[in-house]
Amino acid sequence: MSAGGAGGEATGGIPQNTLIAVGALGGLIAAYAGHFLVQAAGPAFAFIGALGAICAIVWGGAAVRRVASYGLGTGVPSIGMMALGMGVVASMFGLAVGGIAGPIVAFITASIIGLVIGALANRVLGMGIPIMEQSMTEIAGAGALTIIGLSVAMTGTFMFDAVLETVVATGYIAVIFIAGGMAILHPFNANLGPDEQQDRTLTTGVEKGAIAMIVAGIVATVSTDASAIPTIVIGIALWYVAFRKYVELVNRDAYKVLGTGLLPSEEELE
Amino acid sequence: MIDIAGILAENIAYIVMVTLGGMLISWSVHFVPVGGAPAAMAQATGIGTGTVQLAAGAGLTGLVTAGAVMNVSDSVALVVASGAVGAMIMIAVTMIVGTWVYVYGVGVPPASAKVDYDPITKDRQDLYVSQGTEGHGLPTVSYVSGVIGGALGGIGGAMIYYALMSTSTTLSQSDLVALASIFAVGIFFVNAVIPSYNIGGTIEGFHDPKFKKWPKAVVASFVATLMCAFVGVMTIGGL
Repeated sequence: MSAGGAGGEATGGIPQNTLIAVGALGGLIAAYAGHFLVQAAGPAFAFIGALGAICAIVWGGAAVRRVASYGLGTGVPSIGMMALGMGVVASMFGLAVGGIAGPIVAFITASIIGLVIGALANRVLGMGIPIMEQSMTEIAGAGALTIIGLSVAMTGTFMFDAVLETVVATGYIAVIFIAGGMAILHPFNANLGPDEQQDRTLTTGVEKGAIAMIVAGIVATVSTDASAIPTIVIGIALWYVAFRKYVELVNRDAYKVLGTGLLPSEEELE
Repeated sequence: MIDIAGILAENIAYIVMVTLGGMLISWSVHFVPVGGAPAAMAQATGIGTGTVQLAAGAGLTGLVTAGAVMNVSDSVALVVASGAVGAMIMIAVTMIVGTWVYVYGVGVPPASAKVDYDPITKDRQDLYVSQGTEGHGLPTVSYVSGVIGGALGGIGGAMIYYALMSTSTTLSQSDLVALASIFAVGIFFVNAVIPSYNIGGTIEGFHDPKFKKWPKAVVASFVATLMCAFVGVMTIGGL
């Protein structure tokens, strides 16, 4: 397992198929649940979209972990930026042409773009990573669902007119782009190394997803169809739980944890 | 449902333009001297960060300048030229500041380990390469190569933005600007990552042996951008 050299597939922990199910189904169901509950019961339920985005982020982080373990030769962040690059193109297309089927159209479009780019990476560029096609498909799908989930949290719907008005035209899409991209690429980038453990990496994903959720909540303050307070409060609670869990896992995996104290004063150095 | 054939027929030139822009970006990345973490420690030639970050920086600067000029002019030549100049300035400033840091901060002479004589200045290189390193700093040839890369990337980014902005649509101007920008950024990132997988870490510029691999990345970018162009033009044209 390395950042640049020849590695192998990362193994252990939750099987990838379970994570695919959690990410894809969780992301899609939450996008729809958020949309319909907001219409039926009021804007307070917009936060469900962000929960779907967190499912997608954890899935994307797990897929990055799996493929980046082979050693991309160019650093882990590139693949996260690519995920959101593919995701933003596919999700805007899906939401614009799909209407009520928007999230599904976006997800399928992203998967196709990801599959083709994965195939190009292996066949044309000769990267020779056996799971490249599958992983790029997963990462693109996760990127698209992250954007849609956070958009639902910001606007209360995935209908394109509202998303265009509140998220895209205002420029908040750039916030989603970076917050979502960081959440997908950062978990493995921060934890990689000989002692990388899947549960620790994925906990980082939840923690970063929660930060993206808080940001989405702050943006929702300008929207009339999405309540900001539930999203921010639940986001902070999730972040706290995930961060505590992460510290616990770091302590578990560390050989020793020592307090080094503050920097020595000038007198102490003499 | 949207009229796919109609939109395609009307905007085919713009799909071609976006695809061409993506291929130019992909090619441009091969010119930019990228050293990654080793360069940050003065153990490899180039700028001490990854291809994607550099390409994104240059490309987004190009996009901003192209967007600014598009406010006052419809001329494709002017828009593309301003994009190129914006990206060239960004990459040139990054490289000159990097060179100052290498020369005055780290204390190494800029030297390439890939060639014995600088192809532009004909200065001897191998004498100045520190032992155990792959060169350091930004020698003249890498600098010139980087500026060429910035120009090509800026042209590519500006072409994508221009094509998406010119697609026939009923969107209001502000929505169109937002949508075209985010599509351009998305397509830019895809085309910045594809060549970086081709290069696989570090490259010094057009004199680097790895530069010869560029046709592979450009072919891959052609296919990938064609898809993105289709999707992008469909979205904007269908609204």
